[in-house]
Amino acid sequence: MMEHTDYRASILADPHSTDAELRTHREACAECREFTERLLRFESRLERALRVDIPAKAAEPLPMAAEPLPTAAEPLPTAAVLPFARKAGHDARAPRRWMAIAASVLLGIAIAGGVWLTLPQQSLAADVVAHMAGEPEAWQRTEAVADSELDQVLKDSKLRLKPDAGLVSYASSCAFRGHRVPHLVVQTPSGPVTVMVLVHESVRKPMRFDDEGYRGTIVPVPGHGSIAVLMRGVTVGSGEIERIAARVDDSIVWTR
Amino acid sequence: MNDEAGGIQRRTRFQAICQSLRPDLLRFAFWLSRDRALAEDVVQESMLRAWKAQDSLLDESAAKPWLLTIVRREYARTFERKRFPTVDVDELIAKEEPMLAAAEEQDIADVRAAIMKLSDEYREPLVLQVLMGYSTAEIARELDLSGPAVLTRLFRARRQLRAACGEDTTLDPQE
Repeated sequence: MMEHTDYRASILADPHSTDAELRTHREACAECREFTERLLRFESRLERALRVDIPAKAAEPLPMAAEPLPTAAEPLPTAAVLPFARKAGHDARAPRRWMAIAASVLLGIAIAGGVWLTLPQQSLAADVVAHMAGEPEAWQRTEAVADSELDQVLKDSKLRLKPDAGLVSYASSCAFRGHRVPHLVVQTPSGPVTVMVLVHESVRKPMRFDDEGYRGTIVPVPGHGSIAVLMRGVTVGSGEIERIAARVDDSIVWTR
Repeated sequence: MNDEAGGIQRRTRFQAICQSLRPDLLRFAFWLSRDRALAEDVVQESMLRAWKAQDSLLDESAAKPWLLTIVRREYARTFERKRFPTVDVDELIAKEEPMLAAAEEQDIADVRAAIMKLSDEYREPLVLQVLMGYSTAEIARELDLSGPAVLTRLFRARRQLRAACGEDTTLDPQE
């Protein structure tokens, strides 16, 4: 059997390790199990501590829709000639129109500074919305994903869906705030709904948000973090989304 | 025409990827630099470089490590351009106090102060693991270290943090 010190050294290096040998030791050793539980409580504090609030501007959409970007026929801008207000010492040269357009796009990416979100929960909603922008294809699919694919995505979060949960057209295990979380799209009578199961994110009460064309809510799930439920476009009211969130919550079976 | 449409579509996609990763890149840059203003500058410059080099991103699933590497290199370049004076960590903590304590409980602020005091060699792999969700192998690749070296740093980082935060460390293994 693995030595206690080896177990603790390993778990201190990676508290979420799924190594079979570590698991076996933990199941057999009450002292190391308690050590791990204390460590995981600290890990939760550590995760929250690292998640400092971000500038509000970081969650805003990039302003590229107003004008077309430079096409392939036009050379892409180079950092050396972009008309950015760089720090003293940088060589800023005369801008051209397309450079300004590209710069406006990049300025959207860049940090405007100044206003920093003060509420961690706002930051959570902003991160959920920002995650949507990274996976636009999720909304396009309408066919049911294979059961095996869905099971694979859900099993790490220790949950499954009841058969009446609705047609799941997208299922992905996504990196979100340092964890892998299930990102699902469920087809409902009101349209496709994105569900993110956030077992590592706790909220005190339901939090509605309406941002960047996404309307949704993050609801607490006692003992299991929270669930984010959101729809694209403003086709239904917040009340309906709350009801959808409640149905989603009801359709989840936690397996731990 | 199709090429043009494809190009716009590709750039739109690239923009969406950047936007989705931006919050965590900012957080990563903050913990790397321990300076909010510098983190903003580093991420801004990194996005410029990423835009220039977007054609070199062949696999979108690799966008996160690709952008993170750009941020790390940009931060390193900042040091090449400018010599920073020796930092007083307590002054750094005081300077960033509004951010470190923002709307959080005191125990979170304490952990943040302890993270600020970790040396770079322990802080960076810890942030990569906990904030960015990197595996040991991914951290090793990013930092050009061996897997055991990464695990040692993570072990030491947590041991120091827990001690600094008043956790019971009597059962912690010694080296």
